[in-house]
Amino acid sequence: MALIDWSKVTLTDPPQLPREVLRELKKGIDGTFREFSRGYGEAIENFFHPLLMFLKWFQDLLIETPWPLILVILGALSWWGSRSWKMVVGTVLAFLFIGWLDMWEDTMATLAIVSVATLLCIAIGIPIGILMARSDRVQSMILPVLDIMQTIPSFVYLIPVVMLLGIGKVPGLLAVMIYAIPPIVRLTNLGIRLVDKEVLEAADAFGSSYRQKLFQVQIPLALPNIFAGVNQTIMMALSMVVIAAMIGVPGLGVPVLRAVSNQYLALGVMNGLAIVAIAIIFDRVSQAFGKRLQKHREGEHGA
Amino acid sequence: MKKLIVKGLATATTFAALSTAAFAECGDVQMAEMNWASAELMANVDKFILENGYGCDVELVAGATMTTFASMNEKGQPDVAAELWINAVREPLFAAMDEGRLHSAVAGPITQLGEGWWVTPSFAEAHPELDTVVKILERPDLFPDVEDPSKGAFVGCPAGWGCQLANANLFRAFDMEAKGWKLIDPGSAAGLDGSIAKAGDRGENWLGYYWSPTAMVGKYGLVPMDFGVPFGGSENWDGCIVKAEQDCADPQPSSWTQSEVHTVITDSLKQEGGIAVEYLAKRIFPGPVMNAMLVYMGDEQAGGEDAAIEFLSRHGDLWKTWVSDDAAAKIAAAL
Repeated sequence: MALIDWSKVTLTDPPQLPREVLRELKKGIDGTFREFSRGYGEAIENFFHPLLMFLKWFQDLLIETPWPLILVILGALSWWGSRSWKMVVGTVLAFLFIGWLDMWEDTMATLAIVSVATLLCIAIGIPIGILMARSDRVQSMILPVLDIMQTIPSFVYLIPVVMLLGIGKVPGLLAVMIYAIPPIVRLTNLGIRLVDKEVLEAADAFGSSYRQKLFQVQIPLALPNIFAGVNQTIMMALSMVVIAAMIGVPGLGVPVLRAVSNQYLALGVMNGLAIVAIAIIFDRVSQAFGKRLQKHREGEHGA
Repeated sequence: MKKLIVKGLATATTFAALSTAAFAECGDVQMAEMNWASAELMANVDKFILENGYGCDVELVAGATMTTFASMNEKGQPDVAAELWINAVREPLFAAMDEGRLHSAVAGPITQLGEGWWVTPSFAEAHPELDTVVKILERPDLFPDVEDPSKGAFVGCPAGWGCQLANANLFRAFDMEAKGWKLIDPGSAAGLDGSIAKAGDRGENWLGYYWSPTAMVGKYGLVPMDFGVPFGGSENWDGCIVKAEQDCADPQPSSWTQSEVHTVITDSLKQEGGIAVEYLAKRIFPGPVMNAMLVYMGDEQAGGEDAAIEFLSRHGDLWKTWVSDDAAAKIAAAL
């Protein structure tokens, strides 16, 4: 079978696979994936089952927790992060407003998936970032993967994810994570690589083991960068809420989709703004936290 | 200018009707080629059969439902809309039919078409006794939801589609929550198709909303479920089921409303194109055949013309019942 149909090549038409070969190729790839899904889909689904149960449990927990308690927890979290009364009052007011406009349940569902996604991204992303910082070879292998994850249109990986795992929370979580994990990996890598060589030499001079160097020197000094990564990861996870709704993840994305297909202006704007409000709160709190870490370091330098 | 042509046509029509018998020579016929796969296929099959079997001169005109209908209604062109979904144009169409400007050549040119609740074929084979929705609803355990296996999963319509309301209200009308069911929002058309693809590929049970003719129905052999209750009247359906939940306090169980599809022709064709009209009246595609053709078109990325030839060579026994023996021979020769 010829791989190039020379008879069709002209100055305006580049060499291309003959139409039949291309079609067979596409069908072959689709067929292979279908076989894979048939063979292993159930096993993969079972593998993720605990995660699904956890997601469902966490979402139910958030929804069933009395709202004053949620407000107290959110207020306390923002105080812990930012140490600013303005932030605390703003957070509580924003959530009261969300509840007032009948978006409480969707907001809790969104909070559940975004926080689980963020925690998983941190748990997986930071070790990968550390590995990348240790070895240039690992870095050169992982960087292109991160580039793909950040730029490939999400709809492209939604298709295989849905075929493997169906619709619902787990495939939605995976889609969110694919998009949201690169910043934490990148910034962990960068933060550790930016640690002063002289500080490391000093650590070596004191005879610290690799473990001590990593946990007591490199990571603490890289924390502001890592925190910038966490912040970016949260933002990107929130921005995927609507896409995740397209494969049946409950949350604020669902009313947005309904608004888009029916031209419900108010519904769309309200739910969109609720997503923005959560994003701003998370952003300010985590940034303030990151800045506090940095201040601490600057203080040390100044001293 | 256009008015002149229409007038000329009208005169010619009257003349033709007066001077010749019903079996006039088939002349020029303009057919709408709607912009979705099944309509493309039908238009191209019609073209091939009329041109090669009866010597008509068929021109295909691309169009969508509204534009094609408006053009037929106002200008009398094109002559044929093979697959016109009535619900979108009900009132003006019936007005035009009353005035005799448009006619229905055949009601339901594709059988088993419309919306409803479907199951995967593996379920239908394994449980032939559960042959209606009402019976299936007693067995939510056969369709366990992944998140909560104690409940049955019913996959409804994506958020924001009109059918979402109808499915949610039917969910209430059949009292499905109390029976242990959960209404799943697939989020988007891709989500709905994906959930079918997953269940179909793995032979799992699936119950949900879909419609025909579609490639999905053909590809995965989805089986339409009889609701087990009659249509609950248009007052219940149009006044409640299709409305938002707050406007539908007391929905009653009902089967899905019938989707009406007609092959609509203009008056001039009805008067003039005797053979063509006779053919159109007989030309009915069984639903499974149409769905299989849609799968073929999707898999092979075939356009309407290629698909028409594939259909004609695959289903000779079917289309030969639509045409005279003489024409059948000519068409077979042209293939």
